[in-house]
Amino acid sequence: MVSTEAPLEDLIFRGEPDWLRENRRSALESYQRLPAPSKTDEEWRRTDVSRLDPSAFSRFEKAPAHTTMATNLPKGVILESLPVAARDYAELVQPRLFSLAQAHRDRFTALQAALFTGGIFLYVPDGVEIDEPITGRHFSHESGTTVQPHTLIVAGKNSKFNYLDEYIAEHDDEAGYRSGSTEIFLGEGSQVGYVAVQKWGRNVWHFSDQRAELGKDATLRLFNVTLGGKFSKTRVEASLAGEGSNAELKAIYFASGEQFFDFHTLQEHRVGNTRSDLLFKGALQDVSRTVYAGLIRIEKHAARSDAYQANRNLVLSDKAKATSIPMLEIDNNDVRCTHGATVGPVDPEHLFYLRSRGITEATAKRMLIQGFFGDVLDRIPFEHARKLVEAELESRIG
Amino acid sequence: MADFEIKDLRASVEGRQILKGVSLDVSKGEVHAVMGPNGSGKSTLSHTLMGHPGYTVDGGSVLFKGQNVLELEPDERARLGMFLAFQYPVVVPGISMTNFLRTALNSKRGYDGKDKSKQVTPKEFRSMLKDELEVLHMDDSFLPRYINDGFSGGEKKRAEILQMAMLRPEIAILDETDSGLDIDSIKFVADAVNRMRGPELGILIITHYTRILEFIKPDFVHVLVDGKFVLSGGSEVADRLEKTGYSEWGKEETAQPQEVA
Repeated sequence: MVSTEAPLEDLIFRGEPDWLRENRRSALESYQRLPAPSKTDEEWRRTDVSRLDPSAFSRFEKAPAHTTMATNLPKGVILESLPVAARDYAELVQPRLFSLAQAHRDRFTALQAALFTGGIFLYVPDGVEIDEPITGRHFSHESGTTVQPHTLIVAGKNSKFNYLDEYIAEHDDEAGYRSGSTEIFLGEGSQVGYVAVQKWGRNVWHFSDQRAELGKDATLRLFNVTLGGKFSKTRVEASLAGEGSNAELKAIYFASGEQFFDFHTLQEHRVGNTRSDLLFKGALQDVSRTVYAGLIRIEKHAARSDAYQANRNLVLSDKAKATSIPMLEIDNNDVRCTHGATVGPVDPEHLFYLRSRGITEATAKRMLIQGFFGDVLDRIPFEHARKLVEAELESRIG
Repeated sequence: MADFEIKDLRASVEGRQILKGVSLDVSKGEVHAVMGPNGSGKSTLSHTLMGHPGYTVDGGSVLFKGQNVLELEPDERARLGMFLAFQYPVVVPGISMTNFLRTALNSKRGYDGKDKSKQVTPKEFRSMLKDELEVLHMDDSFLPRYINDGFSGGEKKRAEILQMAMLRPEIAILDETDSGLDIDSIKFVADAVNRMRGPELGILIITHYTRILEFIKPDFVHVLVDGKFVLSGGSEVADRLEKTGYSEWGKEETAQPQEVA
């Protein structure tokens, strides 16, 4: 990415606490040490990053994230830029930052841990409920740059709130290197709604890790929306670490032109009586391609776990291609586990039925695409995000 | 000249010829029944008339309002005034009945999102729906549901007739509308169809069984066997079939339902 460390010190590390500077240096070492992903590696078999050279985007955009609801927050809630929080609330940030999305996992998480710029820290203390959703908006302004925001959310016991991350390109045709990773820690009995809407430029490389850890009886409703990037790789992972925890993981994606989207998901049932429900739905146009690979892992002692996983793809063009790979890894017999994948075009019988009522082909197709996303859009955890996503989708479906 | 003229229609499915020259004149104000045993080409006739992409037209023409509708797209046929009540209405997830009905009505009226004067007003839409729901003994709880999703067999068929009533076609094809219906549903459906009967509507009832014809009296009955009409006449043809079934054409099938399909 950058040839010498001196500019990094100036650009990014300045003013940060020693522990964070040290972590960044160590992550940078990981980045330099880790090999480039190989085609023989199952995760990267269909996902080609051989033409990516991060050092081509060595200029950093360090625009701070914009947050709403900065005022009127209940007492004790912390909503702060991540670098500032690292300095002022080290006791909350240090033990958690990049503990879920670990720097040594691969080159791209290492890069995120080493060089994240800006980002948001949200801490909601025990028992605090926030009615209004909190919004973080992350912007890119230029082509050819690197923008790497990171969100860290800590939900105290029995807290309850909704949060939206929006990744916005000033120009839709921007190229560059982009991320947008999130770590969410759900305390006992907490209820968190999290929505990420990725609208980076159409020519960027995008890497993202969204990873949550759920404590006892915690409930996560996560919703991912992927729209931008010529290449976008997103990992969505929930670790069910407390009994009675429940993770709902939903996503929609709409790929067109030459876009390539890769999704890897993990539903990790580490203890018993846990529940996860995943549904990823995507539509593909033109010559776009998508890869979905999802793993349900139920560990030995995780009896009475209930896991559901589905990936549905609507392929709208003969030249678009969706690949779907569901996987199970179950070490306990007393579980309920279902998974499924579909890849297919608009059902011609559905199309004929609508057209037989006088509805034009174009309108009928639009209705069917909207209908395809309908059931999953209903699962967006809060109204503000639902409206935003519906509008985004509508403008893309045309 | 009849309002709707089918001339020597020949059609095939997956390379197999099913309709082998079907001719039929339907004028507005008339009710025609097309009866036939299994495999005679009844479904092929209804689907070909509406333009289903799985059926290939090998010859003939269908003239309606000065156009050969075989050259039109299915939605153009519908906007011209044709309607098909499906034998097996499909479930379409994600689209509510209300959205579907409103979009269909707007399309029929030529509303393309621009000329608001053509758009059906919410008040008008509600009032149209209310009347028709009553006749069909349906409540409005199914309106927010997805198209035909979770509907019973009877509800699906009633929903078809509801669409017909809303869209007010000039030529309506009812494809096995009575199959799978209990007697009450048949009566509701027949009431609704009889209510629409009149000088503005020509009806083609396609059926295996005579039962629905007890409730919707046809003016003409045509018997389709192996892709051709073998007999045409008045309602007495249906009475004859009721007694002898299709045996005179070598088909051991009765024209009375032995069991609810």
